[in-house]
Amino acid sequence: MGDVIGIVNYGIAGNIHSVKKAIDQAGGKTLVINKPSDFNLVDKLVIPGVGSFKDAMQELENDNFIELIQEFDRPILGICLGMQILSTIGFECGTTKGLDLIQAEVKPIVANDVIPHMGFNTIDVINTNKILYDLGCEEFYFMHSYSVVNFHDVSSTTTYGGHQFVSSINNNNIYGVQFHPEKSREAGIKLFKNFINLENA
Amino acid sequence: MTVRIIAKLDVKPPYVVKPLHFEGLRKIGNPSELAKRYYDQGADELFYIDIVSSLYRREILFNEIEKVANKLFIPFAAGGGVKSIDDFSKMFHMGADKVIINTYAIQENPNIIDQAVKIFGSQAVVVNIEAKRWKGYWECYTDCGRIQSQKDVSDWVSEVEQRGAGEILLQSVDMDGRRKGFDIELASKIVDLVNIPVVVSSGAGSLEDIKTLVEVAKPSGVAIASLLHYKQITILEIKEHLNNDMLVS
Repeated sequence: MGDVIGIVNYGIAGNIHSVKKAIDQAGGKTLVINKPSDFNLVDKLVIPGVGSFKDAMQELENDNFIELIQEFDRPILGICLGMQILSTIGFECGTTKGLDLIQAEVKPIVANDVIPHMGFNTIDVINTNKILYDLGCEEFYFMHSYSVVNFHDVSSTTTYGGHQFVSSINNNNIYGVQFHPEKSREAGIKLFKNFINLENA
Repeated sequence: MTVRIIAKLDVKPPYVVKPLHFEGLRKIGNPSELAKRYYDQGADELFYIDIVSSLYRREILFNEIEKVANKLFIPFAAGGGVKSIDDFSKMFHMGADKVIINTYAIQENPNIIDQAVKIFGSQAVVVNIEAKRWKGYWECYTDCGRIQSQKDVSDWVSEVEQRGAGEILLQSVDMDGRRKGFDIELASKIVDLVNIPVVVSSGAGSLEDIKTLVEVAKPSGVAIASLLHYKQITILEIKEHLNNDMLVS
């Protein structure tokens, strides 16, 4: 596959470096997207993210990336905060509009345990999708205090502190994972391979 | 949710070193090679602390951090000498997922915790506690266990939680490097006190020490240095040992 995967660099503490390294390891071609015209050069998008919902949306706006992501008609993978901002609205540091690619809200996780939820955890696949192909028994690394609340596009859930939350979503070309595949050993590399191998519909 | 087993590298570039009671450094090896070894053994995470950066008041050696991060596909926390938001940014760009801070926050500017949390999220900010036991309480030390801060560990831990820190690395100046067991009383107290993850370090001398800590204090993670460095045990052995009692998956 000759697809070029664009990694959206939107200023805030990117874990760009880790994501790029993991996609390289999975055999993908990457391009870090630093400006609007870069969107024309890529076949798929990965939106990484570490930070808060509000700052992330602000940065995307400053970079003039919002519409370009919303109009991107090929596969998109959001990771952690990058998944959360695919939602309609977020409630971290006030109320902020998201990219609205997935009809969902982002709220603090509820758990009878310490927060942030940090560490390797399993996923329960409810409705598998192409990037979860051949994955399901593996553990993935989580590091978050908020999660996506959605009832239609759930691919998997994860249980923490006695409560379930959405750990991955999919709607057509839009994919999101709450965990960090770039920090999840071979299972994460496998997920990136699946994303690389996605047919460009 | 299972307890995380974390390999901790105390670094005096270009070597991983191991202090005894935070002093008397011994060279252990090359940071990248050790990181790779612990990754291959199944470490859940890696912590990297430049233990002399604050003490010597010198710039952080970011290149050394990048070299270590390059070999890993697990979370990587780095610290030592962090004094600004710019330092946080650089750490992340070098491949760190979390940044560990102690001296600057406690001695000069605790607000840096709030600022970093606002920009990078709480999960990315780890506060390192170097606790020294006195009669009836513990005091925070800085500069790799050398300087007293006059701050009670309980007060400071609560304060940094309020400020939004996402994790505590709890080290004991008394037990570090001795391999004679953890300060379980300290660990239990701090784990009970806060609602953020606490990673306990300092003192692992045997598999039983680790198991006792996990059973009694119930930390979110355990960070191990000497016991791994001297090849006495592997991370896999720790996990298997805890696994017998279903403490890890």
